[in-house]
Amino acid sequence: MPLLRGRAYDPAMQRELMDILACPLCKQPLRLEATREDAGEVLDGTLTCTACGEGYPITEGIPNLLPPDLRREMEAQAGSPTGH
Amino acid sequence: MTDTPSAREIQRAVVDTYGARARAVLASAGAPPTADACCAPASAEDAAAGACCSPAASMTAASAAQPMSVSFQAAAASAPTADESCCGPDCCDGSAQAASEGNPAAGQQFGAALYEATDVSALPESVVAASAGCGNPLAIAALRPGERVLDLGSGGGIDCFLAARQVGEAGEVWGLDMTPDMVALARHNAGEVGLENVRFRLGEIEDIPFEEGRFDVIMSNCVINLSADKPRVFREAFRVLAAGGRLGVSDMVQVGELSEGQRASLDQWAGCIAGALPLEDYLDAIRAAGFVQVEAQHEATAPGVVSAYLTARKA
Repeated sequence: MPLLRGRAYDPAMQRELMDILACPLCKQPLRLEATREDAGEVLDGTLTCTACGEGYPITEGIPNLLPPDLRREMEAQAGSPTGH
Repeated sequence: MTDTPSAREIQRAVVDTYGARARAVLASAGAPPTADACCAPASAEDAAAGACCSPAASMTAASAAQPMSVSFQAAAASAPTADESCCGPDCCDGSAQAASEGNPAAGQQFGAALYEATDVSALPESVVAASAGCGNPLAIAALRPGERVLDLGSGGGIDCFLAARQVGEAGEVWGLDMTPDMVALARHNAGEVGLENVRFRLGEIEDIPFEEGRFDVIMSNCVINLSADKPRVFREAFRVLAAGGRLGVSDMVQVGELSEGQRASLDQWAGCIAGALPLEDYLDAIRAAGFVQVEAQHEATAPGVVSAYLTARKA
């Protein structure tokens, strides 16, 4: 398959891809709540574990599935949410 | 060397180092590629855009004499364990030093230099520039059309893009990396490459955010040595592999007994191998996770830290 340069490609998370993700802590399914979408792609929102209730932010189309303590540590150091 | 750094300290150092590199590559994306950027950085951007850990033999005397990258120095200063990274701050100086100090890692090759020119010629510069792997990506060559692949520590995405060509449109490739800036770079690169069967996720290889049994192949190129909990990485890899799934990992391992001089030299500067396990321990960790047919290939002719290719299967 040739590599095509310049084709429009939006890697933002798509709803239909949800089913393969799992909570990094307890490995259970996640539930998606989108707060900003564009053509079926979630740009901002939250993934919430259906078992443990832990939430994982989606920012600018990037779901942050780092363990929460590591994510918070990074956010604290960066002074802003990851993904920016 | 002082106390062993904690797992979190190692993670932070890795994120700092690779984040700086990703930001530099992103910042210079679109700019003309810099020739021989490896050890002659005119700027932080140029330094990061080069194949930092290309072999010492390819360096010119002039380039070896240049100071190392500003960004890597900054990362090293803010995080003493930044030299855990495979292509850590000392790689260029270190390679030059290795010849005279008999360091066991001398002669190892890293980064884009490992890829056949034909493999990467179709990839944008920003993809090739961030490559920091230590192994010939043999795992990619073994991929078959339609397979579902996970790359642990996907960085700028080069292995993912090559894998995506191998598995074709019927297959899919996922890259997992814990460095936000690397995920951002990989997503940028995905747009440049235009492949639609590759996706990247921000997450930790010790806590893989995918459901079990989801992948046919797990690959990883010079990343697991950075983990402070390698057995856990292999357990997680085992979990997300489907029955019959394959593991194909390039990584740095220690082969044979090191002399005192070699150990001292390692402790002093050889960042990329600070986390390398003895080969047998590495293989034991893979077996302990449940894998079978655990095998290693390497070309070591003398004791030291070498790049090895490890394969295993989930029965």
